[in-house]
Amino acid sequence: FIILPPDMHFHMIIVAVFWFGFVDSRKIRGISSSYKRFFRERKSFLCIDGSKIIPFEQVNDDYCDCEDGSDEPGTSACPQGRFYCTNLGFRPHYIPSSRVNDGICDCCDASDEYNSHAHCQNACWNLGQRERAYVEGQMRTLDEGLQLKQQLIEEGVLLWREKQAQLRELQQVAEDLQTKLEERRSRKQEADRLKEQTPRPPEAGDGQNSTVTGTFKLLDSNKDGSITVDEVQAKVALVHDEERVLSEDEAVALLGGDHQMDLTTFQHTLWDILTNGGRVKVSALSNTFLFVFLSDLREKLAIDYGPDWEFLFLNSQCYKLKVYEYTYTLCPFNQVTQQSTAGTEVSLGRWGMWEGPPKNQYGRMVYENGEPCWQGGSRSTTVTLTCGTETALRSVKEPSKCQYIMDFQTPVACQPVLKQRGIHSEL
Amino acid sequence: MATFTGSMAPVLVLWLAMSLSGTWAVDKGNFKTCDQSAFCKRQRALKPGDSPYRALLETMELTNTRLTLQLINDNNKVRLLLELYRLQGNMTRVKINELKPLKPRFEVPDVLITEPSTEPLSLLSQDENGVVLSLGTESQRVIISARPFRLDIMEGPEVLMSLNSRGLLAFEHLRMRKDTWFSKGPPGCTSSKEEEKVDGMWEETFKSHSDSKPNGPSAISLDFSLPGVEHVYGIPEHADTLRLKTTDNGDPYRLYNLDVFQYELYNPMALYGAVPVMLAHKAQRTTGIFWLNAAETWVDISSNTAGKTVFGKMLDYVQGSSETPQTDVRWISESGIIDVFIMLGPTPKDVFSQYASLTGTQSFPPLAAVGYHQCRWNYNDQEDVASVDAGFDEHDIPYDYIWLDIEHTDGKRYFTWDSHKFASPKEMLQALEDKKRKMVAIVDPHIKVDSNYKIHNEIRNKGFYIKNKDGGDYEGWCWPGSAGYPDFTRPDMRAWWASMFAYDQYEGTAENLYTWNDMNEPSVFNGPEVTMHKDAVHGAWEHRDVHNLYGLYVQMATAEGQIQRSGGVERPFVLTRAFFAGSQRYGAVWTGDNAAEWDHLKVSIPMCLSLGLVGISFCGADVGGFFKSPSTELLVRWYQTGAYQPFFRAHAHLDTPRREPWLFGPENTALIRDVVRQRYTLLPYWYQQFYHAYRTGEPIMRPLWVEYPQDPATFVWFDVHTFQKHNGAQSLYIPVTMSSIPVFQRGGSIIPRKMRVRRSSSCMTHDPYTLYVALNLQRTAEGELYIDDGHTFNYEKKEFIHRRLSFAKNMLSSVNLATDAEFSTGSWIERIVILGASKPSKVTLKTADGQESQLEFDFDASMSVLTLRKPGVNAGLDWNVMLQ
Repeated sequence: FIILPPDMHFHMIIVAVFWFGFVDSRKIRGISSSYKRFFRERKSFLCIDGSKIIPFEQVNDDYCDCEDGSDEPGTSACPQGRFYCTNLGFRPHYIPSSRVNDGICDCCDASDEYNSHAHCQNACWNLGQRERAYVEGQMRTLDEGLQLKQQLIEEGVLLWREKQAQLRELQQVAEDLQTKLEERRSRKQEADRLKEQTPRPPEAGDGQNSTVTGTFKLLDSNKDGSITVDEVQAKVALVHDEERVLSEDEAVALLGGDHQMDLTTFQHTLWDILTNGGRVKVSALSNTFLFVFLSDLREKLAIDYGPDWEFLFLNSQCYKLKVYEYTYTLCPFNQVTQQSTAGTEVSLGRWGMWEGPPKNQYGRMVYENGEPCWQGGSRSTTVTLTCGTETALRSVKEPSKCQYIMDFQTPVACQPVLKQRGIHSEL
Repeated sequence: MATFTGSMAPVLVLWLAMSLSGTWAVDKGNFKTCDQSAFCKRQRALKPGDSPYRALLETMELTNTRLTLQLINDNNKVRLLLELYRLQGNMTRVKINELKPLKPRFEVPDVLITEPSTEPLSLLSQDENGVVLSLGTESQRVIISARPFRLDIMEGPEVLMSLNSRGLLAFEHLRMRKDTWFSKGPPGCTSSKEEEKVDGMWEETFKSHSDSKPNGPSAISLDFSLPGVEHVYGIPEHADTLRLKTTDNGDPYRLYNLDVFQYELYNPMALYGAVPVMLAHKAQRTTGIFWLNAAETWVDISSNTAGKTVFGKMLDYVQGSSETPQTDVRWISESGIIDVFIMLGPTPKDVFSQYASLTGTQSFPPLAAVGYHQCRWNYNDQEDVASVDAGFDEHDIPYDYIWLDIEHTDGKRYFTWDSHKFASPKEMLQALEDKKRKMVAIVDPHIKVDSNYKIHNEIRNKGFYIKNKDGGDYEGWCWPGSAGYPDFTRPDMRAWWASMFAYDQYEGTAENLYTWNDMNEPSVFNGPEVTMHKDAVHGAWEHRDVHNLYGLYVQMATAEGQIQRSGGVERPFVLTRAFFAGSQRYGAVWTGDNAAEWDHLKVSIPMCLSLGLVGISFCGADVGGFFKSPSTELLVRWYQTGAYQPFFRAHAHLDTPRREPWLFGPENTALIRDVVRQRYTLLPYWYQQFYHAYRTGEPIMRPLWVEYPQDPATFVWFDVHTFQKHNGAQSLYIPVTMSSIPVFQRGGSIIPRKMRVRRSSSCMTHDPYTLYVALNLQRTAEGELYIDDGHTFNYEKKEFIHRRLSFAKNMLSSVNLATDAEFSTGSWIERIVILGASKPSKVTLKTADGQESQLEFDFDASMSVLTLRKPGVNAGLDWNVMLQ
């Protein structure tokens, strides 16, 4: 159908009224203007599929003569038929013939219930107004959303670059570390070889001493011979707390209540904590931690964040919604969880993939392999992204056991394409 | 009850573990075999032989309507009282009770619709060996032989049925418990006590459950011989073949209403409902046995031809050496009395009418209930309901009812709504009403024990709960956790229950909300065999006596509540899982928790056929299967089958993925749409069939032998989709695609349809009819058309149209079958399709006022189908159409 800019909407309605009023004195019920040409001949009627000719009196006589239902556009007689609701003031549309005179108002202009007990009011004008207000609202949302999206795209690009830089940096650190490790290994091999040549009893503490010094030097970033609170915070992490960085108080505590510490004190106090306690460790020492972090970062950067990295900003975010007795949390590209008021948390799936339809590839996300279900299988969540001015979780449903559906609103789901097609395509 | 409650938690865990295990077969160990049911084991240990019972002819008293006679057991000298009645409509009733029982024995109330009318009996002859009585005016006689006692019912020279001919009459008389006399006596008594324990006469244990049996042994048993009979049917509910099998090499068929988790097919295990009615059929005669007893019952069947091959039978015939084929049946019940109605036919339809005269006919449902029902455990909330409802419109599939399972309630407190998920039920119901659709919400009979729950408090305060053996309120574990079970055997309890359906009591309800009674066997998760302890107490009686009646009473009270809430105007619709003889009067029945397997689809047919034979016509199976998830092909085929069964409802387990009709791709949506629409076009025919079932007690879904007991070879059949004609008496190989359903209309029948399929049945009320006239070889056909308002009881006030449609001598006419009835309809005759016709030169319509007009017509010579265009005459008037 014709695509019109919004301001032409009303003109078209006026034109339509004019046309109906003048040209069509003997109205054929239930057809659109584009079908009028099939009903011009007033002596006989050729079924639109060409299968049969019938006398014109048999058009809309409440008996289905044509296989394709074309002779009864205005009655319920044909099983495959359709009835055209003109709906002046709102959108015209077709309804199945079976809804003509069934006692239920389907056309907002009440034209479908011309011979029934239903008391239908013409609601087209109201509906039209509501629709226009809605469309305007949608347009505003879309405009605003697209602007926000642009910002987020720009931020996304920056963030992307930043992450890339961080990746490069870390890779450098990792390479350095690797080199050092290899050096140490070859030195050790050399030493072992020498040991074999001139065997002697191992000296207790010898190797340890060098490690103590090495660790101290590693912590002493500015090489001033003493480690400070800042330096501890920078390189010591709590093991059991997801490698959390120490607070200042914690760092001071590690330094024995002082704000700095020299090698001798270190050897007798903090070193013991680091080696025996197991609660804290020197981050930089733990190359595994580095590599884990590095691969994690690589993994995250390998995710498809959209053509303009517009979804990247969602990466570190989580969104919550409370539905009845449950709180749902969506952490995009990470996981979905459900927490009951009692406090137990259940995984509803980990990031799987984009699963939108071909036309809107980034319209749907899937999170899979959550907590197992009673009858086998595991929980999963499908997240539908819709355009909005805020980024928020709007609804959560569980239509079948363990299969969750979320509606997630965000400006980055706004699509300019949508605006072009607009509401008018449905006219 | 403290200890009882204490044991619940582990039981629940066990139960959960069971449902988790994921094995798709019943855990047979949860249910008793005959050997594990003490009375069945005792009774079955008796083998055919000489009966110890002797008729004391000198005690005979014969009045105009009744013969009484004492029987004595020569082994223990206990006397029984035999009563024999000749009932109107060719039936004989035989009652046997203890002459002087220690205390009264239970006699089943509320199942017979009225005290059956008797006919005179007369004495033909008598000597010391027996008595011969004449049964009414026909050539029927009953011969009572004295030693041993036996009864033979004869017609002319033919024995129709013999009772106690194999000597299996047994009557465990009530007695004092011997060890109780000496309960604190010398240790010498223990041996007899032990012996009785072994017998399970005074106490019985199954798994961890103990049955205290305060009344001791009370079983009864009687055998019936059916000469000439090779086919017996009925005694539902079993997931088994239509024709009953012999039970010599296994357990008897069991009748004991049970909630069987994931039931297995093709075995005699008990299921949710029990109708103790058996039909025996041979070409010349059909008879029936109605064993009116509501206690646990087992039925043994044996046959002297069962083992013989067809060739063996032929050989017997040729050599003339054959003994007459005979089926022997034996009924065993745990308590109560022997009260048996022998229905003597002779035709299948006579037996249906005889049984209907005793227990009533199928209730006439509202037309909408014959439409399609969309159910699932569970539609989660109002939004879910609205979106499923919209889905049907979007995909142009009609439906009438959407269903809510247990999750719609506030914590499984029936008569309430979950305040979050169903915050405004009236709005939801109104939205459905706006589309002329309806809803069903579940109301189960287990009531959550919760002092903040009105229903519980009232039942407790009124003392309406069933009691445990110690006199406290019986508590069991079910969906809500700890639950009480209202004593539905009490009329005052049922009246109160019915009053709870009033709109001001059951909040959030409206006229288009109907009810589903599930779990009414009753299901008790932590009870013996997942049901109630037999020593629970219903007033003067034990649960043992009334068990199989419980479900009937629940549905009875619920249906009554629905009638009352409308001031007696509107027809109720109530679905039940448990049932008994007479349940047909209260609504629909479904085959319980089946599974999404091809075999379950197949067995739904014999299961509903069996129910139809014993009066319960409104039967269906969960379309798609309840447990497990069906393949798309199975789901489509199940719709195609379910659409042609009386009760048509899709249902699914909570743990299965969604399966609304449009979720399987456009092609399958189209297939399902097509068959649901076929159902709707046929609603006028279904409705007329329901009216017929309501009037006559004849089943709607019938085995061929019911319809054609004589010779089916003379018929022709028309494929309803292609109009292809097939001659009878041949085997046809019919190739099918996913879209084809082999449905045939018999030549000689006229079927009314409404071809304008709309959103729901109510939307089609005023639509015109198309008549499908299928001619037989004599070029005649007959059918009926029934029209009323579709939802009130006004048909009882003769507000309906009932017409006979007949085609003969090239004329189709509509004549009034109920001249005293009156109803006006806007519906008219839109089209007449005559199958097997030849081409006329002229077709004339003549209306009641004498007006004649020519009808246009279309003749398809390749299929011999004549279509008459738009007769246009009102469907309620006289008219005829002449082909010339």
